Amino acid sequence: MLSPSRVLEGAVKDTMLKYIGLRLVQSVFVLFGLSILIFFIARVVPGDPARAMMGYLATQDQLQAVRVEMHLDKSFPVQYYYWLRGLLHGDLGRSAYTKRPVVTDLVQYIPATLELILFATLISVVLGQAMGILAGYFRNSWFDGVSRLVSYLGIATPSFVIAILLMFFFSQVLHLAPSVGRIPIMMTAPPTVTGFMVLDSLLAGQFSTALVALTHLVLPAFSLAVIHIAQEGRITRSSIAENLGKDYITMHRVHGIRTSRIVFKYLLRPSIIPTVTVMGLDFAFLMSNAFLVELVFMWPGFARYALTTMLNKDLNAMVAVVLVIGLTFAVVNLLVDILITFLDPTVRIQRRGG
Amino acid sequence: MALLEAKDLHVGYRTFEGYLHVLNGVKIEVDEGERVGLVGETGCGKTTTVKTILRVLPMPPAQVQGGEILYRGEDVLRMSTHAVRDLRRREITAIFQDPLQALNPMFTVGTQLRDILKDSKAGRDGGRLTKRDIEKRCIVALQETGMPDPERIMTNYPSQLSGGMRQRVCIAEALSREARLLLADEPTTNLDVTIQDQILRKLDELVDEKGTSVLMITHSMGVVRDLTQRLYVMYAGSMVETARTKELLACPRHPYTQGLMKSVPRLTGEGISEGIPGRIPNYLEPPSGCRFHPRCEHVMPVCKEAIPPFYAVDEDHFAACYLYRS
Repeated sequence: MLSPSRVLEGAVKDTMLKYIGLRLVQSVFVLFGLSILIFFIARVVPGDPARAMMGYLATQDQLQAVRVEMHLDKSFPVQYYYWLRGLLHGDLGRSAYTKRPVVTDLVQYIPATLELILFATLISVVLGQAMGILAGYFRNSWFDGVSRLVSYLGIATPSFVIAILLMFFFSQVLHLAPSVGRIPIMMTAPPTVTGFMVLDSLLAGQFSTALVALTHLVLPAFSLAVIHIAQEGRITRSSIAENLGKDYITMHRVHGIRTSRIVFKYLLRPSIIPTVTVMGLDFAFLMSNAFLVELVFMWPGFARYALTTMLNKDLNAMVAVVLVIGLTFAVVNLLVDILITFLDPTVRIQRRGG
Repeated sequence: MALLEAKDLHVGYRTFEGYLHVLNGVKIEVDEGERVGLVGETGCGKTTTVKTILRVLPMPPAQVQGGEILYRGEDVLRMSTHAVRDLRRREITAIFQDPLQALNPMFTVGTQLRDILKDSKAGRDGGRLTKRDIEKRCIVALQETGMPDPERIMTNYPSQLSGGMRQRVCIAEALSREARLLLADEPTTNLDVTIQDQILRKLDELVDEKGTSVLMITHSMGVVRDLTQRLYVMYAGSMVETARTKELLACPRHPYTQGLMKSVPRLTGEGISEGIPGRIPNYLEPPSGCRFHPRCEHVMPVCKEAIPPFYAVDEDHFAACYLYRS
């Protein structure tokens, strides 16, 4: 026989799965709409894609041949139909700039940026939350003041400026960290499995490569993390400071619950929820906004690739890039929603409708 | 020796507008096993008094300017934070006014109750309780408050419970670790009238059984009549009168208390009473001397000069009023 709480848990799981399913279906529709939008916008923006592909010396005949090959001589809906048919076969067309299938490009560049921004997110979560919790708990103390000042500086300074400063001090002056790339040119890269250099090195048993790859990650990831440390830290700080005044926290103290439990369990849980939402958005933004830092550190990443396709009116690649960014937002938002559902029981109860 | 004794307590708040001098020489005594009431209007400093005793007043903005709070002869205000926490774990507990705010919405009732017992050191020889003991005591604590199906309540979040149920949970939390002194700050004010009575009766029964001393803060005369043996009347941060509850209700001496009694609506009375003219003073620039003097019909020149001390008006009955100087 099932106990009442078991039944309840089962019900929660069911509604949760149903909710995730619903959200996935919604995401497919959103991405479909997005693909139509970007497909047509890319084609009405001034500039001749065939010319961009073939260069100034190409003859009219050569250009016409390219147009026919890419179906650019057909009407927009027909072009979209061809593109969609390709998509269903896992083919996003050929990049006019790299001359390779777009899918090959994506497989190469996305993991590099993902590795970078995952590491940046890790740094910003650890440092930003530590700062936010401390500043909130000791609000209006000297630490709060210093962290406020540092945060404003972090928010106001563009990440590429931070990147250049970090590179100058830590690799040129102090020689503590390498400056560019994912691993030194002389080093043999591990066989690609995940595309994450550190992970692949570990999988291949090349521990020294993994360590070197990690040191290559630190500076660019930190440059990207600074603004998020500042913003997310401040958000956590203000909700901690606010919740500290709540009756229930006073009651926890009255009941003699130890301080570490109050802070890291009873205070942190309600305070971190607004931050988690922002963290998700920040992560997805980095997917496309990391390009300046990728340029500074010569990181062969997705953000840089995205920028290049836009500048070269590389139609197929542009559409694919926008879709990848859209997909990132959709996935991250869904993950954030699931995370919040686990963090916040009031959301859970509401969704169950009881 | 009294169990709890607050002497000449002065507490204020620093705000943007200036310094609010709220508690102006508060004195309270609670003996072992005694039930004491503290009545006064909203805003007279009752909650500030309770929070000062519990040492949970946010400082800043609050500031303790003077006085002492003796618990079994030891000054709570001068204890280390460590000692205060042990005091809360073993000796003093509280129930607050608003049960909707007093429970953490993010955690189940069971989680919150268990953690209290986990940290309470209520085990044998002041050690930790075993897991099984904690579980057992949680259930018992909830059961004692008259809650049906405590096992299910443990798995509920506060938002799934009614106000009355939540206040029962608060009572269970407060009484779960056998504290000696309960500070109850208007425990039923925010509940439906029909529930109020049930909860008070249950609370009464429980403290009786456990022999807990109680300081009951309220603005309801009905509550103090039923539940307390002695009474303090507070006005604008000062104690104005104290006596045995029956005596004080039957024969109030301080002009403020007399006015307060008159403004209690009676079912058998002659309609709505006139109340006391004027309002509670502004704490930014409180009246000099007796803080009640601007509203008092017996005001004398001396009232504006100095805070009146407690004068004995009867056996075990004191009033802080110059009318009783002789």
